[in-house]
Amino acid sequence: MNRTPGIELPPAKVVIEPFRIKTVEPIPLLSPGERATRIERAHYNLFRLDAEHVTFDLLTDSGTAAMSANQWAGMMAGDESYAGARSFRRFERVVQELTGKPHVIPTHQGRSAEALLMKALVRPGQIVPGNTHFDTTRANIESVGATALDQQQAEADPHFPGNLDLAALEQTLETEAARVPLVILTITNNSAGGLPVSAANIRQTKALLKAYGIPLFIDAARFAENAYFIKQREHGYRNRTVEQIAQEIFEQADGVLMSAKKDAFGNIGGFLALSDEALTESIRTQMVVTEGFPTYGGLAGRDLEALAIGLKEILDESYLAYRVRSVEYFGQGIEQAGYPVLKPFGGHAVYIDAGRALPHLDAGQFPGQALAVALYQSIGMRTVEIGSVMFGRQDTATGREIPARHELLRLAMPRRVYTQSHIDYMVEMMAHLRPHLASLPGYRLTYQAKVLRHFTAKFRPFTS
Amino acid sequence: MSVTDEPPRRSWAEPFKIKMVEPIRTTTCRERQSALREAGYNTFLLRSEDVYIDLLTDSGTNAMSDYQWAGMMLGDEAYAGSRNFYHLEQAVQEYYGFPYVVPTHQGRGAEHLISKVLIRPGDVIPGNMYFTTTRLHQELAGGTFADVIIDEAHDAASEHPFKGNVDLEKLDALVRRVGADRIPYVSVAATVNMAGGQPIALENLRQVRAYCRKHGIRIILDATRAVENAWFIQQREPGWREQSIATILHEICACADGCTMSGKKDLMVNIGGFLAVNDAEVFEEARNLVVIFEGLHTYGGLAGRDMEAMARGIGEAVQEDHIRARIGQVEYVGEKLRRAGVPIVVPVGGHAIFIDARRFLPHLSQDQFPAQALAAALYLESGVRAMERGIVSAGRDPASGDHRYPKLELIRLTFPRRVYTQAHCDVAAEAICTLYEERERIHGLKMVYEPKYLRFFQARFEPLGDSVYEKA
Repeated sequence: MNRTPGIELPPAKVVIEPFRIKTVEPIPLLSPGERATRIERAHYNLFRLDAEHVTFDLLTDSGTAAMSANQWAGMMAGDESYAGARSFRRFERVVQELTGKPHVIPTHQGRSAEALLMKALVRPGQIVPGNTHFDTTRANIESVGATALDQQQAEADPHFPGNLDLAALEQTLETEAARVPLVILTITNNSAGGLPVSAANIRQTKALLKAYGIPLFIDAARFAENAYFIKQREHGYRNRTVEQIAQEIFEQADGVLMSAKKDAFGNIGGFLALSDEALTESIRTQMVVTEGFPTYGGLAGRDLEALAIGLKEILDESYLAYRVRSVEYFGQGIEQAGYPVLKPFGGHAVYIDAGRALPHLDAGQFPGQALAVALYQSIGMRTVEIGSVMFGRQDTATGREIPARHELLRLAMPRRVYTQSHIDYMVEMMAHLRPHLASLPGYRLTYQAKVLRHFTAKFRPFTS
Repeated sequence: MSVTDEPPRRSWAEPFKIKMVEPIRTTTCRERQSALREAGYNTFLLRSEDVYIDLLTDSGTNAMSDYQWAGMMLGDEAYAGSRNFYHLEQAVQEYYGFPYVVPTHQGRGAEHLISKVLIRPGDVIPGNMYFTTTRLHQELAGGTFADVIIDEAHDAASEHPFKGNVDLEKLDALVRRVGADRIPYVSVAATVNMAGGQPIALENLRQVRAYCRKHGIRIILDATRAVENAWFIQQREPGWREQSIATILHEICACADGCTMSGKKDLMVNIGGFLAVNDAEVFEEARNLVVIFEGLHTYGGLAGRDMEAMARGIGEAVQEDHIRARIGQVEYVGEKLRRAGVPIVVPVGGHAIFIDARRFLPHLSQDQFPAQALAAALYLESGVRAMERGIVSAGRDPASGDHRYPKLELIRLTFPRRVYTQAHCDVAAEAICTLYEERERIHGLKMVYEPKYLRFFQARFEPLGDSVYEKA
């Protein structure tokens, strides 16, 4: 039999989803006039908008994923027994296999895993270094009276800009090792733009800490995206599976904490996986106060079931290729539409430099907020300001605003939710909006809460 | 078997049919022996697959309706402003009557918030008997719990129709002693779980309300089983027979300034709770705190779908047919046990039957953990899982470090809502009756591992003798 030789085609530009759609959810399409009313009623704060008035919800990739048919089937098989449910046993087994840690503690969210860990390990006056702490991690470290120290590599490795600065860590340890109860590596480095950390950096961090007997913890919220970047970019990993790479990463850690609302395709959930038995005992005793009994941790049995399945699905490399490629595709489109974006692109979001996009506004006029409002009003997109609204503070003495370091706007991509057509539409409309950016008004705060003001703040536009 | 009389009149039948089933497994005595040993003779530590009929708790173990499951498919998982939140908020406002609602992942999340917002170190919080997590959160916030329930509540044999009532004299004596300014609120549970699911009368609640108003003290209701409480008011309290459950629920809540709620009970969901209050400032503070511990205030650590299921559960919970069947099932088992002479707390409460382990096992002293021993023996006998509610649950006094010796030494047989059929109930009742006939063979336990907080969850035991545990 003669076989016809295959015809070689150029690589496709289209991003193909390695799944088809099983359940749909209508999205609201509002007129610009309706949106103008809605955003005014929400006091120009997108957190205050009702979800039913948002067409493209890019507020966060946390808990917003589409679950698979298999996960939904798992939801129906949830064992809701208060103690010793089989859904917990299944979840426990999957987490053990992935992380190599024998002790698994479910929690209702990632932030509760952080709270439990910090309460158990950190004392007032101590220092917790990390590549860049996520805001809830930082809040939990500070709430026990310790200092959260960000040590992201300054001379960024172009492939792994999320890396920890080993020299800086070493310097800290030389003088302060006795005050360092643990070090946390967040993979991918979320606060720095969802940027990956290399396997070598993780190994070297561990080696350094070993000399001092300090445990290494990994915040694994986006571990699979990070492992995929390692496979693509780091020498020697091309032929390893993402699962093997993830296992190698976790082998370096003494414990793993995770918000399962990201790389486990969960709508709710988190966990701690630990090797230390005494630490596990102390956390299990503590957790019943705020979370729930140790075999459900404040989650329904069905959620444990769905997470166990999600943690397997996330390791599918055709999914990860699609995931990383679609974020990049979106980023490139926005860049071509004339917006300054942060590069290289990370795993879960595109960041626009709003300070540069709206140079006529200074930090006190909240350029990120101004762009966020404009994207909602004209396109129906909900994004999140990461700039002086979120991280700025008021000087306690003068009452004057102290600006944040950057004025960014984050466009986070929920997993498996939006198609390429959605992306194309948003990019097209953003290109139409581009010439009007110079005329966008700035905003001033008319109400703010004492802590985490961005969630509930109220604004008013400056009128020209 | 000692249930020889005519079977008790069937006062209920399920007002639903079954749409989805879950297999359960029967085990041999030998399998249960090894499972129990592995679990340290603590039923909390058994694997659910080794349990035949799981009466450990009614919390989060309910069967949802097809309407609730349909709601699960309509989850809006947006981080902010999910439509499911607005549905929940509106349902709470409509049925519980409080304008401000903060969702939480569990009831203890709501207790955590209200304790942090209202309690200052040194405060005293009176209540109609403690509940484990409620008291712990009060203590962690620097407060001290003071029991002001009527004496009858501590008497397992008293037939008082409202054993959950507050003793106003005790409350007044406390207020005189510590001063109203040291009392941030009175914590009122409806029904009172630790007293055996016993209700509080509306008249009593209104008196507490009048008293507290006079002294400027808030009332925070634990509304976890307030619908069940409303049923008892309708059945037992003069003047309420013709009123709907929804109306009575509203009246109960109208006596309070706010409520904490575990939706895992009355509202027939598997996860979820909320805090609801009248006061805008308390709400504001709770809303700022919830994001730290639970999640943003429009999801509170719950998936959108779970808020939807809870909102739908509220409407179902107040249906008369539902609540009649719910409590009718518990009464049916209670009646069977009573006829066989098994010592139970009377009157039978709303969510559970409490067996009096002191009278069941008079040969054991309280520090031999009679209720814990009885729960272990019942599992071994039948695969039925019950829960200790006695000296182990009561924990230690933080000041003296000694066991607290509660008057009631009980095991709780708790009925998940809409899960078990009458046949399951019959099997469980027969097992208990059999065990009662052989009660002298049950030995006490000693505690070999004791956690610091809420020790009953994870404590481990060893038997002091071996006859029952070696039977095979």
